[in-house]
Amino acid sequence: MKSRLSINNTFVIAIALLFLSCEDFVEVSSPNNKLIQQDVFSTDATARSAMNGIYNQLFKAAFSNGSRSSVTVLSGLSADNIRNINPSNYTRMEFEENELIPDNPNNLYLWSSAYNIIYMANSLLEGVYNSENLSEGVKLQLEGEARFIRAFSYFYLVNLYGEIPLLTTTEYNNNQLASRSLIEEVYDQIINDLEIAADVLGTDYLNGERTNVNKYAATALLSRVNLHLQNWEDAESLSSQVIAETGTYQLLDNLNDVFLVNSKEAIWQISPIGDGGFISNTNEASMFLIHPVFSFVASIQLRETFVEIFEEDDLRFNNWISYHNEEEAFFAYKYKVWNTSEFPIEEYSMVLRLAEQYLIRAEARARQGNISGAVEDLDIIRSRAGLSLIADTRPDISQEELLDVIIEERRKELFAEWGHRWLDLKRINKAGEVLGQSKPMWEETDVYYPIPAEERRKNPNLDQNDGY
Amino acid sequence: MKNNYSRLKWVALIIIGGVLFFLSKAANAATTTPLPLQQQEVSGVVEDQNGLPIPGVTVTVKNTNRGTVTNLDGAYNIIAPANGTLVFSYIGFKTVEIPVDNNEEISIQLEEDVSALGEVKINAGYYNTTERERTGNISRVTAEEIELQPVVSPIQALAGRMAGVEVTSGGSHPGMAPTIKIRGTNSLREEGNYPLYIIDGVPINSTPVESNSLMSSAGIDPLNNLDVSNIESIEVLKDADATAIYGSRGANGVILITTKKGREIGTSVKARFYTGMATVPNRWDLLNTEEYLEIRRAAFENDGVEPTERNAYDLLLWDQDRYTDWQEFLYGGTSETTNANITFSGGNETTSFRFGSSYYTQGTVYPGDYDYRKVTGNLNLNHRSGDNKFNLSLSLNYGVDTNNLVGNVGFNATTAFLPPNAPEIFNNDGSLAWEEWGVAGLDNPLEGYFNTSNTQTNNFISNLTLSYEIFPALRFKTSMGYSYYDSKEMRKQPSQSYNPADETPNNSSHLSAGRKSWILEPQILFEKSFNNLKIDAIVGATFQENIQNQEGFRATGYASEALIGNIAAAESIINARRESAEYKYAALFSRIGINWDRKYYINLTGRRDGSSRFGPNNRFANFGAVGTAWIFTEENFIKEKLPFLSFGKLRGSYGTTGNDQIGDYGYLNAYEATDGPGGLYPTGLANPNYSWEVNKKLEVGLEIGLFEERIRAGFSRYRNRSSNQLVGYPLPEITGFTSVQANLPATVENSGWEFEFSSLNIDSKEFRWQTSLNVSLPKNELVNYPDIDQSSYANTYRVGYPLNISLLFDYTGLDPETGFYTVRDVNEDGSFDYQDRIIIQDLNRELFGGINNSFSFKNFNLQFLWEFVMQEGLQTSFDGGTVGNSRSVALATLAGESVYQKISQSAQARTAYGYAINTSIPVEDASFVRLKTITLNYNLPKAFTRKFGMENWRLFLHGQNLLTFSEYSGMDPERTSSGIGNLRTITAGLEINF
Repeated sequence: MKSRLSINNTFVIAIALLFLSCEDFVEVSSPNNKLIQQDVFSTDATARSAMNGIYNQLFKAAFSNGSRSSVTVLSGLSADNIRNINPSNYTRMEFEENELIPDNPNNLYLWSSAYNIIYMANSLLEGVYNSENLSEGVKLQLEGEARFIRAFSYFYLVNLYGEIPLLTTTEYNNNQLASRSLIEEVYDQIINDLEIAADVLGTDYLNGERTNVNKYAATALLSRVNLHLQNWEDAESLSSQVIAETGTYQLLDNLNDVFLVNSKEAIWQISPIGDGGFISNTNEASMFLIHPVFSFVASIQLRETFVEIFEEDDLRFNNWISYHNEEEAFFAYKYKVWNTSEFPIEEYSMVLRLAEQYLIRAEARARQGNISGAVEDLDIIRSRAGLSLIADTRPDISQEELLDVIIEERRKELFAEWGHRWLDLKRINKAGEVLGQSKPMWEETDVYYPIPAEERRKNPNLDQNDGY
Repeated sequence: MKNNYSRLKWVALIIIGGVLFFLSKAANAATTTPLPLQQQEVSGVVEDQNGLPIPGVTVTVKNTNRGTVTNLDGAYNIIAPANGTLVFSYIGFKTVEIPVDNNEEISIQLEEDVSALGEVKINAGYYNTTERERTGNISRVTAEEIELQPVVSPIQALAGRMAGVEVTSGGSHPGMAPTIKIRGTNSLREEGNYPLYIIDGVPINSTPVESNSLMSSAGIDPLNNLDVSNIESIEVLKDADATAIYGSRGANGVILITTKKGREIGTSVKARFYTGMATVPNRWDLLNTEEYLEIRRAAFENDGVEPTERNAYDLLLWDQDRYTDWQEFLYGGTSETTNANITFSGGNETTSFRFGSSYYTQGTVYPGDYDYRKVTGNLNLNHRSGDNKFNLSLSLNYGVDTNNLVGNVGFNATTAFLPPNAPEIFNNDGSLAWEEWGVAGLDNPLEGYFNTSNTQTNNFISNLTLSYEIFPALRFKTSMGYSYYDSKEMRKQPSQSYNPADETPNNSSHLSAGRKSWILEPQILFEKSFNNLKIDAIVGATFQENIQNQEGFRATGYASEALIGNIAAAESIINARRESAEYKYAALFSRIGINWDRKYYINLTGRRDGSSRFGPNNRFANFGAVGTAWIFTEENFIKEKLPFLSFGKLRGSYGTTGNDQIGDYGYLNAYEATDGPGGLYPTGLANPNYSWEVNKKLEVGLEIGLFEERIRAGFSRYRNRSSNQLVGYPLPEITGFTSVQANLPATVENSGWEFEFSSLNIDSKEFRWQTSLNVSLPKNELVNYPDIDQSSYANTYRVGYPLNISLLFDYTGLDPETGFYTVRDVNEDGSFDYQDRIIIQDLNRELFGGINNSFSFKNFNLQFLWEFVMQEGLQTSFDGGTVGNSRSVALATLAGESVYQKISQSAQARTAYGYAINTSIPVEDASFVRLKTITLNYNLPKAFTRKFGMENWRLFLHGQNLLTFSEYSGMDPERTSSGIGNLRTITAGLEINF
């Protein structure tokens, strides 16, 4: 009897011990493929990796990668420069016909990929602010770059959708029910971010790669923002700052060199390296390029009505546009290297370049009544394109005429890049007037894309744009 | 007669031997102290009513732990006191007690006992119970019902066989994971609804394994590597009483798979072989070229649009007379299946073994040469010490399978719906055709055709259980398990598979997954009777660790096709990823079962669980249940008043279980490497506070047996409430991601009725007819969700309705002007969105079940199972006019005689159609009755087989999904959401016992 009791006691103790060991047993170490956020921002090197991660992901994010769901393609289709070859691609045709429905999956990709990049920027900013281990210089550098990325993403969101939720934290509890902010509020945030970025960032490109943003990338985007906001003076002075950096930026005489890796005309580019290696050149090439052998694979062609506006000896027509006899169609030929996995990479995807800055300054000057200054800038672009100078051919051009010429020059210079035409037509309130002619379904409310239905389903505080 | 003589000779020999032995014993005894009781040797033969020997009958000396088992000839030999009693028992036969009474030979005939079915031992996981005594709800299928089914995963073999268990095929490719739901959907997360799988005591991760091949949609079933014919029984634990002992993992039910064990004395060999073929049993009724083109032309005419090469390439560029039956092309083939297995078993009184090996292969119905193969091996070893105090049981299961399915090919409904005059897939030289597709701006739909993929998995599951009786009532037992799963997949993508214009280099993608797990479960078992009171208790602990890893990469730029797969020859390795996760789990559990006079039962189970899947503050929780049963037929007043009632039991249970099926490390705010070099990025949102899902289960049941158990019936009524829902809570993507893991204040209720019935309709010497039936009436409802309007689920779920619903527009008929569909703009805001989707369509099964009949006539046996389901499903493709084939209902539209909209190819028509497929138009009755399995067995006469030295020789024919009756217009009413579904299979084979 006695022995049984003691055995019973042993069991009780054993079980108690088992129980205690349970508590420790379920501790697990963190997985080898994840790094906890605090650890990421505990050293300069890993924090830098977080910024590199954003640049890499820009080539994966739908809105910025130049591929089928990018601003370049979709907003391009919404305007009047390009058209989709395959009419059975309904989700793309809806952009081209300005007949978007809120369930369009491409529309959701555009929206959500931009917000995903914004999250990364916000997460990086929070990590940097909360870190005590980063050196001051790295902190400032990272803050500047992340603020630029955030501003850049919001710039496209606000232009494509109008009022949008403005989120500057990673707090999903609040963010998930965020309602839309006024367009002015979004622009205030963009300007604030870009001003800080331009202030803290250095003038050099990190590692000499124009895929890392510097002070002038921030300045260039800020000048575009001011053009959109009709702050002509600021737009002029900011673009002047960029144009003045002649040691860093130059218009290239040979149009075939503009889109090459780290070209002198580039202010900011996105590298296909972000793909992780399978793709060694730009997505724009695969979307626009007419294949040397197999013509039928190009997805996007140029509209005849667009090609017609080029003057006969425009070098851009000769160098940036190709014609295919069999297809009897024109194709954008800015990016020339077909997308294969041949390395090294020859072309980067262009986001900001010097030519745009000249055109911004030309327009800002024209708006302020500085006709000669505007013509001077415009002629720099025209002369590079091998065209006659306005100063020679139309010395008495009126302000209004000049503005029309500038807008048309923008169309010819910046086609098939980042939806410039779509943004321009909306900015100058001519979307209806211009697109109404070529697009039978056009309605005034089409200037904004619908808030994706899926998003409204999950966030009841998001209301819809008019017309959807 | 000869046989009888030879047997008599044996008997005589045994008797003589026994006498000699006895004499020597007696002589021995005489010289030592006299035994309290005189021992003698007894031998004999046990036969059934037909005079056939029964091997494996347990023969014990009453009130001792001495015992033996009859050999293949039904003979036994035991030492027993001359005044003792022998007890003969065997499953399915009435137990007989015979006093030794100085007899040296006791040969008997055992009578079959229908009521003894109630004594069948049921595996309840940590303990065993019987059909009679169980307080919980446990369903069971045995080898006989599943072993001949030509299926890859044993889960597929369960369809229609158990009440409350819903099995849906994963698809038509061999190896795809089927879906099994035990009493409905408990979790709002799809991946949170897997039951717990336990094979011979070892928990197996039930989540399907990722694949790049054609199995990618459903994933690979982790049970594929088991040999279906090596399974002794599958028990499904359903209610709280049965599942609470599994605590945090029992919420979705538990599936216990027990493999076969050796139990024969002597050695036996059993071999089986079958082969057969499978086809796709159904086709969509689609348009032929003439009809299709007529509709296309009508569309342009109706729209007043001039067809151009851009919008009408099928009319202007493609051959107008060409016709391809794409369905026939795609899945008109025949898949062959073959299975062979062999087992050796044997042993003596204390040790037994069983060793088996099997080979299984199955092809596919697609064009091209793809197949699935598996080889398995298994070993079971049981040993007990002579005094029965020490027990050892070892089980090893090993399986290797290879799935040669291709990845990335349009073997799906999209290809079936190609225009019937679409160009040829292949050129004359066998290469893929591109030109004619290309002029239409299309890619060849079988792009990727020359890809090959090879998925090889290895699965090893082992368990060692040791137990020792410390005191007569107390046993210490420990169960140790180790399992290893490894899957390696390589997909070769030669450039000839792709449009030459894309200049796709020769690529390969590689995926490998590993799952390793060990488990240790020390337990103390107590069992003692005090007069009428019997107590049965367990206290134990579980320690488990799982390590999962996954690795994937692509290798690209092989110089030639022959080098693909040889990574060293690749130009670059890209998209490399490596993930690993560690999951640890610890628990204490206990169970006390008390019964009074075999009449009143109470069963208490409890578990305290800890899991590393939760944040540090939320790691532990308690679960428990109480189950009771009252066998009222043991009461005298029932016995007197209702003599025809041979058995009656009322039972009830209530308790809680949990669910921790959610990704590991979700509580960490973490960064991972980007695909591009040198980058880190956040891959998800973190929530440090989430915790368990809790499922409270309530059940009452009634079981009765009539006319000496010839009829048995069971009714169960259950209600399971799953709350504290742990979900990948969907978030608007403005938060950066689509979801975050969190607990929701929501309750999902699954309730229902289950009915099980079995009867022995005819039982004569030559003819026997048995019927069993199960019916389930499940109901699923989101009962509660505070502030659902404010949540992200506002437009996904509706309180008061099931989870599996579709929110539809209110269809308001055809617009008289345009002829297009119109739907109601409920809130009149001019747009059609989720606020206008006011019609709620339930897509759950309303009723399902199975009815199985078994006829035995002489040496023939015929079994067939009908599965029946009542439900509604969807079927689209009713509109014509745009590029792509339609169902032939579009012809009626052309004739202006249908409910469908005007034939048109316009954007407006497409938009209207887009709304219409989200109305009640595509909803139709998808109820079906299906002949799920049918087996015809013929046992060759023993007299004949023994001439060849064989114990038994069986021939069989088996059919799977031979007939389906349904009004449904799609392919397979079981899988209305997707294409091809269940295959129709016929096999034939034979089995030989030596």
